[in-house]
Amino acid sequence: MYNKKLVDNLTTGQSKLLSSKRRDSFKVFEKLTKSDFNRINLFNYQFPEYSPYNKEYLKEKKWQSQIVLKKMTDNLNNEEEILNYLEEFKGKKVKKGNQGLDEKYLSMVDAFYNTGLFIKVPRNTELKLPVEIFYELDKENPVLIDNNLIVAEENSKLTIVIDYRMKDQELAAFHNGLTRVIVKENAVLNIIKVQRFNDQSDNFDSNISLVSNQGELNWIPIELGARNSVTNNENTLIDDGSRASISSVYFADGDRKLDLGFKMNHQGRHSSSEIESRGVLKDRAQKVFRGDLYFQKGAGQAKGTEKEEVLLLDKTVDSDSIPALFSEEDNVEGEHAVSAGQIDEQRLFYLMSRGMSKAEAKQLMVEAAFNPVFDKIPLNDLKGSVINEVKTRIRS
Amino acid sequence: MNEKTEVKDIDRSLHDKKNESKHRYQSAKGLTPEVIKEISREKKEPKWMLEFRLKALEIYKKKEIPTWGADISDLDMENIITYVRPDADLQSDWDQVPDEIKDTFDALGIPEAEKESLAGVGAQYDSEVVYHNLKEEMVEQGVIYMDMENAVKKHEDLVKDHFMKLITPNDHKFSALHGAVWSGGSFVYVPAGVDVDIPLQSYFRQNAPGSGQFEHTLIILEEGANAHFIEGCSAPKYSVNNLHAGAVELFINKGAKLRYSTIENWSRNMYNLNTKRALVEEDGVIEWVSGSFGSKVSMLYPMSILKGARARAEFTGVTFAAEGQYLDTGAQVIHAAPNTTSTVNSRSIAKDGGHAYYRGLLKVTENAHGAKASVACESLMLDNESKSDTLPIMKLQTDDIDIGHEAKVGRISEEAIFYLMSRGISEEEAKAMIVRGFVEPIASELPLEYAVELNNLINLELEGTIG
Repeated sequence: MYNKKLVDNLTTGQSKLLSSKRRDSFKVFEKLTKSDFNRINLFNYQFPEYSPYNKEYLKEKKWQSQIVLKKMTDNLNNEEEILNYLEEFKGKKVKKGNQGLDEKYLSMVDAFYNTGLFIKVPRNTELKLPVEIFYELDKENPVLIDNNLIVAEENSKLTIVIDYRMKDQELAAFHNGLTRVIVKENAVLNIIKVQRFNDQSDNFDSNISLVSNQGELNWIPIELGARNSVTNNENTLIDDGSRASISSVYFADGDRKLDLGFKMNHQGRHSSSEIESRGVLKDRAQKVFRGDLYFQKGAGQAKGTEKEEVLLLDKTVDSDSIPALFSEEDNVEGEHAVSAGQIDEQRLFYLMSRGMSKAEAKQLMVEAAFNPVFDKIPLNDLKGSVINEVKTRIRS
Repeated sequence: MNEKTEVKDIDRSLHDKKNESKHRYQSAKGLTPEVIKEISREKKEPKWMLEFRLKALEIYKKKEIPTWGADISDLDMENIITYVRPDADLQSDWDQVPDEIKDTFDALGIPEAEKESLAGVGAQYDSEVVYHNLKEEMVEQGVIYMDMENAVKKHEDLVKDHFMKLITPNDHKFSALHGAVWSGGSFVYVPAGVDVDIPLQSYFRQNAPGSGQFEHTLIILEEGANAHFIEGCSAPKYSVNNLHAGAVELFINKGAKLRYSTIENWSRNMYNLNTKRALVEEDGVIEWVSGSFGSKVSMLYPMSILKGARARAEFTGVTFAAEGQYLDTGAQVIHAAPNTTSTVNSRSIAKDGGHAYYRGLLKVTENAHGAKASVACESLMLDNESKSDTLPIMKLQTDDIDIGHEAKVGRISEEAIFYLMSRGISEEEAKAMIVRGFVEPIASELPLEYAVELNNLINLELEGTIG
């Protein structure tokens, strides 16, 4: 289980500083009681037994020699550099809301991660092709605890695709991940995360970022699977003109439960952010959308928008929306909008009058809602299989 | 450089009038069953009410103080004098009301208002109603408007059937406290089909330092009835923190329509932890008009439960948080029947370090197909010392619905000021116009006398001091 013995095992023969980081995190972890996610009735969740993750998950290509790509579980020789980056997250804590999903889940990753990547794009480096990461779960690797650190140095540009997936439809797998992101001055970083586990698996994922002066971070989280999926995406715009966006898409069906949290903390002047979420709920699916726009004092002329649209396909769905706007600064522009309801009857009728069945028409409408986001997936194979996944789920 | 709009504090001298505290009876500080028994004995209540109070006290002792929202740790619950009876018997003639008390009400314009157009005036001074009157023709039609104490005795069955059925002592710590120590308030009963065409008014004042006010308002509208109830609150300033934990229960039967307006302007040391709830049956309508200006801390979330098909709720509210104020308010609407509709329109202004918080709930239950709801929240920040938060929670449990929500925060638009200035209006006047325009939707919902009070609170003051 997740005890000191396991920490000792994980730190044996490992680099010194990162090992002591694991041990410190364990001290935090062991003091915390289990945390609950009330709105999706997820109480006293028991972490499944630890097992190592040994699957290859990185498609390495020649051109990637321009960037630093290291496995966090290797005996690293640049651990000081990593720790320095991690230091940057300290002191950035914001009052409203914790960083990441919650301290228990965060410290669990920091103490017990069984995989993860350190990715650094050096200064003035621009990569045209995306870095592809495939975290696949199977019988031999049913537990994924990934600890990722992604750094885009000044004037760099990179796109990263992380695909959390599994082929086995019977296996009950577990994922608790943490992705920390640092975007330096003038850098542009795009991160596409696709989650398509089976309906027996549980997914927990924390994403924390710091965006510097004129830096830009664009997230595309696509949530299609898992029995329980609890994710958090929290961005702190620390300097002048920092920018961040989230284009979220989710589809939940059956008895699946989703708890999605998106947060933008504006600290820098002229910082701007955009949260856009489009989702579809079917059958008895349950979803919670939390979107926080937080303008901290000093974030003059900051601008933030938040938009949520949810399509409800069945009577039995349960949809919670909690858009929050916190402001300590008068010279800001913040707005949020939520709309929820059924597919527009008239449009449905129009499509059906053109010979489509109701199911086909509904499917088309859902695709129309999702496609603007899917179009941002830079890999055609992945895009195709994501679209197919949605199609299959709508029909079932 | 952008010029900041300065808005001076509202002139409170009118409301800060205070009288020397002079009472015949004060219950001992702190809450024990003995205190409760004493209160009940003093009021000569029926036995069931005493039993209810004692049960509520037990619940109160068990409940925790809520940990979310406002910081109420300053509130010394044990030291609140829960029951203070003013030095006056219940009067039915204005002339017999003691001069001191009269003067304060006179300063607030109550008797004038009555003379003009009011159906009745119930003015609550501390915990008991000192003056109550209802126009003759209303009485003839069977309308009942009296203080709660008397209603418990004179209309016992009606009260017993409804009293704290909508807000129960189990809801939260302050509803339990209310159940144990409630005192005063108004009882309104409008028979089927009766239209009370002029508003009924109650005016609450708290005068004794450190006293709590726990008035209970119970309004029952029978089928097809129509009424407008106005509740105004103001209190003089004292150094001891005051607590207000009243309860308002509104029963709106089939096809009935009630408008419930509140202008709340408690002094800036008041903890206003009021609970308000309306139960709306088929085709019934509840309209809330709410202005929150006073108090140190407010936590107030009027709830409309749309229980019958096609029931409708409307909430129009403005919150003005100035220096030292934390006003946490918002509307709650539960759509529990088909084809119910609701509209929430909230405006808030924060200035001089004030903190305005909109916290709302919209819930659509499984059987509420065809429900339509819209929630709009707009916040205006007049400086960067202040804070403005918006947290509207939506919980939707069926598919055939149409829900929309919008919220905005920001300051006065430079473009709008520029436009007005280009039309020959001075900058100060332009800013004042925009602030007045911002609260206009609420002002226009109020009857004239209260729009005048709202004017006292905002419009006139803004006009002179902006710039």
